[in-house]
Amino acid sequence: MSAGGLAGSQRAVLACLADVLIAQGRGMPAASAVGVPGELIDRCLEVAPVLGAPLGALLDEPAADAPEEFVRQLAARRPDDFAVLSTAVVGAYYLSGEVRDLIGYPGQQPSPLSVAGEPDYLDMLERVYERHPGYREAP
Amino acid sequence: MAATRADRVQRAGAGSGENPVADVLIVGSGASGSVAATRLAGAGFDVVCLEQGDWVHPADYMSATPEAELAWVQRWSPDPNARRSPADYPLTGDADIRPVMYNGVGGGLVQWAAMWQPMLASDFRVRSLDGVADDWPIGWADLAVPYAEVAHDMSVSGLAGDPALPDMDAYPNPPVSIGKIGEVAARGMDRLGWHWWPGANAIASRRHGALQACQRRGTCMTGCPENAKATPSLTHWPAALAAGARLVTGARVAEIPLDERGRALGAVFLDGDGAEHLQRASVVILAANAVGTARLLLLSRSARFPDGLANSSGLVGRRLMQHPYRTVTAVCEEPLDSWQGPWGQSIYSLEFAETHLDRDFVRGAKWMVMPHGGPMFAVAEYHEAHRHEGFEALWGENFHRAAAEVFGHSFTWGIQVEDLPEEHNRVVLDPDISDTSGLPTARIEYRLSENSRRMLDFNVARGVEAAEAAGATSTLVRDIWPTGVGHVLGTTRMGDDPATSVVDRWCRSHDVSNLYVIDGGVFVTGGSANPTATIMANALRVSEHMIETRATQEVPL
Repeated sequence: MSAGGLAGSQRAVLACLADVLIAQGRGMPAASAVGVPGELIDRCLEVAPVLGAPLGALLDEPAADAPEEFVRQLAARRPDDFAVLSTAVVGAYYLSGEVRDLIGYPGQQPSPLSVAGEPDYLDMLERVYERHPGYREAP
Repeated sequence: MAATRADRVQRAGAGSGENPVADVLIVGSGASGSVAATRLAGAGFDVVCLEQGDWVHPADYMSATPEAELAWVQRWSPDPNARRSPADYPLTGDADIRPVMYNGVGGGLVQWAAMWQPMLASDFRVRSLDGVADDWPIGWADLAVPYAEVAHDMSVSGLAGDPALPDMDAYPNPPVSIGKIGEVAARGMDRLGWHWWPGANAIASRRHGALQACQRRGTCMTGCPENAKATPSLTHWPAALAAGARLVTGARVAEIPLDERGRALGAVFLDGDGAEHLQRASVVILAANAVGTARLLLLSRSARFPDGLANSSGLVGRRLMQHPYRTVTAVCEEPLDSWQGPWGQSIYSLEFAETHLDRDFVRGAKWMVMPHGGPMFAVAEYHEAHRHEGFEALWGENFHRAAAEVFGHSFTWGIQVEDLPEEHNRVVLDPDISDTSGLPTARIEYRLSENSRRMLDFNVARGVEAAEAAGATSTLVRDIWPTGVGHVLGTTRMGDDPATSVVDRWCRSHDVSNLYVIDGGVFVTGGSANPTATIMANALRVSEHMIETRATQEVPL
């Protein structure tokens, strides 16, 4: 990985690997289609810099030229490296506004609720109280 | 063996001139240390607290950004080995469950989920009732008043009257909304006739004390940007500092030195530049959690205590208890908005918290309903539960199944079980690996007991039934969490017999008359309740006793 982030060649490899993990389907776009290898991976690595060096090393491996086989081998035989790749790709994918819109996710937004008035569960709670034998006494 | 570090610092002249002798020195600024500092400073004691981490401010949190979930990967991971902050010490060892913790002002309460759960009355009498482990030297009644006081100080929101617990004062705030996830889960428990109750949380449902009203952002464990979750930097330290307490951050304690009569002199600590200092004090209180306190006692070897300070019983570091934890996620057809918070406990159940003779284990479990967070977490939950189905089932086009089925349509029953004390489960010093100050770090030796494993299996099976009764179309069952839930207990147990305990019922060392331990290490048994309420209540109980007995407290030369 270069000092300024992933190199262009690494991003090209990442696009292929990421699409093995997250392909187009079920009405959802593939990872590369929403920009995972671009700005989104940069944002991801800025928050989780611990992923940067091992991800860069993975993307430089010659075997990454055969992305399908490479990713499957990682998953089967190199779980730590697979965790780096999958965490980075999934994390970047769900930063996409387009993806969030498609799954109906507004982000961790404030959504205050009033505590005024009685909650709806009091009848169920009354039944808990009626059927419970009471706490176990201790000597 | 010479106390070389303390000798060196004293010879260099550090100490009395640089750091005036305090009445009370507290190591650790978290749940127990903040309570003691506030109460003792308020009573007029000159209090100094040494904290190896730094202050955490709401602006440090990433919870209000789109990257909130990603923050768990490193910066706001609960695992110090992933976080790798200079304030952390690595935890080593091949343990079945490795603890998580946070080192900074507030300690573990920076990242906790704020679940507020007093222990059961029976939790204090396990030997008498169930014939296993040991009874505590204190009981529920000893903590009843402190429980109520710390609940007020922590702005707890909840509903008193749970018949599974002894009578308690009302909480200062009504419960936080249980949300759609709680309503659905409660309907399932109602159908089964099982116990449930609205969750009590140290999260303000309305503006109270230093806290603002919860906005249900759902990022409790990576920090609440609204200041609605109780943490000592909000609830305790302002009052402690106003009363004159001094909080020294970036201070990593290396040793508790002794005077010629075997009383604690204070603490030798290293600052951020590695310079050594001696902070003298009349009384020393260790509040560094059950791992950190045990580590510090083991680091403080001397001719008088060659196996570690206050360790004539040989129990320092031993009897480590955690709360082994598994989850059952109920996937439902109806939308549950299950990324919304708070990420404390929506509802809880004590249906299986007590021993039943027809089961193949003793003691029990506490359950709590939680949301699942954002899509990264939902996908991770799905993948963990389906990992045996292979690559094809989880990735490629099928990747989208996880979010489509789980995200926003599920709730999770978290199931934590009581972990009985076993001497082979322990904290020791790592002979090879050190922290950033060059001090040997803590190695965790921990094996899950057969009793805990059976208890988890039984409760998970019941959890699936509860999910199905709630209308779940499928369930995601996860195995034991290898990094635990951050509840570390038992390494400096309290008791009346110096041969079988480290501290007495007032949490004073049997061996060193002016040395106290007030964190979760003093727990005799662990119960299944989240331990913070009990840790804080006990710290208040001990602090009150120290104030009452101040005239007879022995101090160093």
